[in-house]
Amino acid sequence: MPGMPTDGGGAIVPFRGEPGQGAPSPPPLRPIRHGVAPPIFRVYINWSSGNLLQVACLRPPNSEGCGGVEVAGSVVEVNLGSGGNGGAEVEEEIDEAEMRRIEYGSVPAFALLQSRKNALADAAAMSRMSSVPDYAEWWQYVLEYSKTIGNLLGNPDSPPAFMIEDPKTILKVREKPTSLRAAWELLEIFYVDKQLQSWLPERLVDWLADFDSLLSATESTVYSKLSNFQKKLINLQIVEDDPDYWNGLSAALSVGWLDIVVNMLRFHGSYQLDQMDNRETENGLVEAVAVLVSTMPRLRPNLPTGKLGQCCKTRPDFVKAWEKWRGQVTKLECSAFWIQCGHQKTRDGLKNLLHIMMGNIKELTASTSHWLELFASHFLYIRPFTVGFEGMHHLAQKCIQLKPSSSTTGLTGLVIGVLSENPEVVLAECTKHFGPWLVTHAMELLTADNDYADTMLHEERPNLGGISIEELHRLVYAQVLCSHSLTWQIAPTYLSSCLNQGLGLLEILLLKQPIQDNRLVLKTLEICRLYELDNISTNIMKVAGIYHWKHGRKGVGVYWFQQAHDKVRLDRIAQQLFEHIGKSVADDSFKQWEGLLELLGSDIGSAGGLEFLHRYRDFKRSLHQALDGRSGEAARQTVDFLIQLMRNPSTPQRFWLPLLHDSMELLNCKPSPLMNVAETNLLLNKLQELSLAKLRPDFSNNHLPSHALGSVRLALASNLARAILEDP
Amino acid sequence: MAERQVAELGPGAACCGWNHCGRRLAAGAVDGSVSVYDSNPSPSSKWQAHEQAIVNVVWLPPEYGDAVACVCADGTLSLWEEVAEDDQLPTWRKCKVFEGGNCCILNVHFGLHLGSLKMVTPYSDGQVKIYELLDSLELDKWQLQAEFQNVTDPVSRFGKPSCTSASIAWNPRRGGSQQASFAIGFDSDSSHFNSCKIWEFEEAHQRWLPLVELGSPEDKGDRVFAVAWAPNIGRSYEIIAVATCKGIAIWHIGSNTDSEGRPSTENVALLSGHDGEVWQLEWDMGGMTLASTGGDGMVKLWQANLDGVWHEQAVLDCSGSHV
Repeated sequence: MPGMPTDGGGAIVPFRGEPGQGAPSPPPLRPIRHGVAPPIFRVYINWSSGNLLQVACLRPPNSEGCGGVEVAGSVVEVNLGSGGNGGAEVEEEIDEAEMRRIEYGSVPAFALLQSRKNALADAAAMSRMSSVPDYAEWWQYVLEYSKTIGNLLGNPDSPPAFMIEDPKTILKVREKPTSLRAAWELLEIFYVDKQLQSWLPERLVDWLADFDSLLSATESTVYSKLSNFQKKLINLQIVEDDPDYWNGLSAALSVGWLDIVVNMLRFHGSYQLDQMDNRETENGLVEAVAVLVSTMPRLRPNLPTGKLGQCCKTRPDFVKAWEKWRGQVTKLECSAFWIQCGHQKTRDGLKNLLHIMMGNIKELTASTSHWLELFASHFLYIRPFTVGFEGMHHLAQKCIQLKPSSSTTGLTGLVIGVLSENPEVVLAECTKHFGPWLVTHAMELLTADNDYADTMLHEERPNLGGISIEELHRLVYAQVLCSHSLTWQIAPTYLSSCLNQGLGLLEILLLKQPIQDNRLVLKTLEICRLYELDNISTNIMKVAGIYHWKHGRKGVGVYWFQQAHDKVRLDRIAQQLFEHIGKSVADDSFKQWEGLLELLGSDIGSAGGLEFLHRYRDFKRSLHQALDGRSGEAARQTVDFLIQLMRNPSTPQRFWLPLLHDSMELLNCKPSPLMNVAETNLLLNKLQELSLAKLRPDFSNNHLPSHALGSVRLALASNLARAILEDP
Repeated sequence: MAERQVAELGPGAACCGWNHCGRRLAAGAVDGSVSVYDSNPSPSSKWQAHEQAIVNVVWLPPEYGDAVACVCADGTLSLWEEVAEDDQLPTWRKCKVFEGGNCCILNVHFGLHLGSLKMVTPYSDGQVKIYELLDSLELDKWQLQAEFQNVTDPVSRFGKPSCTSASIAWNPRRGGSQQASFAIGFDSDSSHFNSCKIWEFEEAHQRWLPLVELGSPEDKGDRVFAVAWAPNIGRSYEIIAVATCKGIAIWHIGSNTDSEGRPSTENVALLSGHDGEVWQLEWDMGGMTLASTGGDGMVKLWQANLDGVWHEQAVLDCSGSHV
């Protein structure tokens, strides 16, 4: 059945070391370390919940001669979902417990969004409008969802709890960014946040500032340049003599990290008090560049507090400020002071910075490392007036040509997919690199305001057995959740959002839960109740019932059979009890089964056989009381029970005589009749029926004395006589 | 991908089977003993079930307690259930033994239908017997419900073939109005018996009828090594995997029916990959991934992609060369 996007996507059972595109490449081979020495005689397999596969490897059973103590066979459990998540990149960064925190944390947001989606769809259906939901409202919901999930993935803006900042720190220590968060933010920027769509270039610059360190593990980036220089800085006497200082400065400036540039410029030797006098002009030039850098106009709604730059909210403001600022940059570049600057490296370095600010493509290309950095620098210095999405893909292609990268990470692949406006590629990249969690949750972002993605994801496909790609990915993620005993409980939320096959899988999941643990059974039943899976809960109760019944806990077993309304089995149990009781109605045997009946409680309306036993228990008790206390009320009560029992069709015939015989003493000891004429006649009729039945060969004798029938008849007759006399 | 050892099997282990939730494992040994493992490396119970080697262990559906059926090399079949009294340690009790008569019982499989338990047992002479459990609480009263040969033509009589093994797969869909059905294929010297056929219980006449035969005319005589019926969580068609010497065939059993009321069948893939005989086929709980084992000591995972094309997704090497 379902599978993966053919265009280079991942796999349903995500597998590390998975081949790239192209079918002919052999599938990944994973050696299983089971500890059994070859040769292997047989391999047995069994799927348990989710992606867990149990593999039993057996040696030839008759080869005991070699060694004797060797393992004859071994069973290993293999989690094909790679420890619960699947995306190879994600797995390296986030451990299992952290991933579980994210998985649990995203459930409420996902559920809320689904319920809002359903509510909007219902409202649209009610008002008979076309099924176009209120978009303005909808993307707000999706944005809220996106922010909630984004926060779960960590907040790179949050400063560490306690830190003494060293003035010589270039890159501030922050929470380590993860590619999962980077991918999420990227999707949010491009697919959800409508309000900020026109600030797209600046948002991309911000995104790069947060996640530049993740672009490449092996190749140079602006981040790696700066962090290398940071390490070197402690041992540097004269920073401005080191080419890495100027390289770092131009790199940071080209991607718009203004704070870092200004901070680094202040490391310049001309700021030192003992040198101020000799290097006054030089210092003035450094400071002038620093001022220009810190006043660079930025077309964006706001600047975080403490960030440098000049924030312009409207385009006209920005154009005005930009022209003025560019004028100042040009003016400084042409200034005569440069001749007076004696330090060659400072002069060249500062001029380089000015050229970057003037948008010199050569300098920008030289100072950036990764194509995404070059891409961002274009928006900052070459095309500052770009609004929205225009020309981004073309520009990206150009940058990739200029700075080809040998290794592509999931993030760059994702960026290319986003820029090429190809949701299939975006989805395939997410599947391949970030695992089923991200795919499942990110689909909501992709479809927030993208009709094409909406159709692509929601179209029901015959090749997938009639489900949509969205449903397929949710099912795949649910299977991942099912693979762990700590996460299967959240799978139902996702399965219930799958219209076609979700409940089918949920049913199988619930039926696969072991019933030995009572708490687990209650949890499973609660899920059944929540999703109205009555058949499944009945089945689970029956399984639990037979388990306890067979394991000596008869009472618990009967309890579950009752809950399941398992009439067949309860009748069968009642039958067993009858057989036991039927052998002897002596009081000591009554004690034995009374305990079991006690457990059954009074709510046994559904079970015919047990209902009789329950009434019989009440009758017996009442009879004891009546005979002991001789109170009229107890006697009347006992007679009521007797009449009820004799009237009830579920009372087996073979109990009629013992019942009547038991009550005989009571009937005889009272001076006044306990039953009226009608009641006595009923009993006499039953007795008559019994004497006829006695003639049949299958009549079972109750070990009562042979004259029992006659004695009862006599007692009833005398009662009838008294009743007639007293009858008004 | 994480892996962990869950049990270490004792000497002589020859076959094993898992219960419905995969938490319990029963292993049969060549000396006729059976061991049950519960999430501990060593067995929780062990008993002598037969005098000769156990060739297959199958768990009964959980609705009938913790019980296993053991197929013995001497051709008999025994049913065992776990019972306990008043907080004592559970023990395994023999409930019933089925004799093979003049031939051997090859395999056993259980199915639930309308609240009753049915058992299919293929015999070495090509007969298939279906028993029904009469008592919902005890496993000792069985009634023979039907007996037939795995051939589509009910009229002509075929000689008695010699069968070495048989593979059975019940339709995993439970409850509802659906008829009871199962697929069965033989490994025998008679081509008529071999091909995998789906048998369905016809309620009106209370008899089992062959519904469809899975095989093209030229493949029908191929010996069948394994059969697996995929769980159906909402597809309009069923999927069955059948392993023969030619590979693993994936069949779609359609919801459309032909003029005679038989559902359409389509062989959508023939997967070859195992070097040697295929031993076992197992579908995952969603019916999306098929796992197979074979004589090459490999476990292979198969999936269909978005275009419905089946391919080998991954291989687990269990040949023991990586100990």
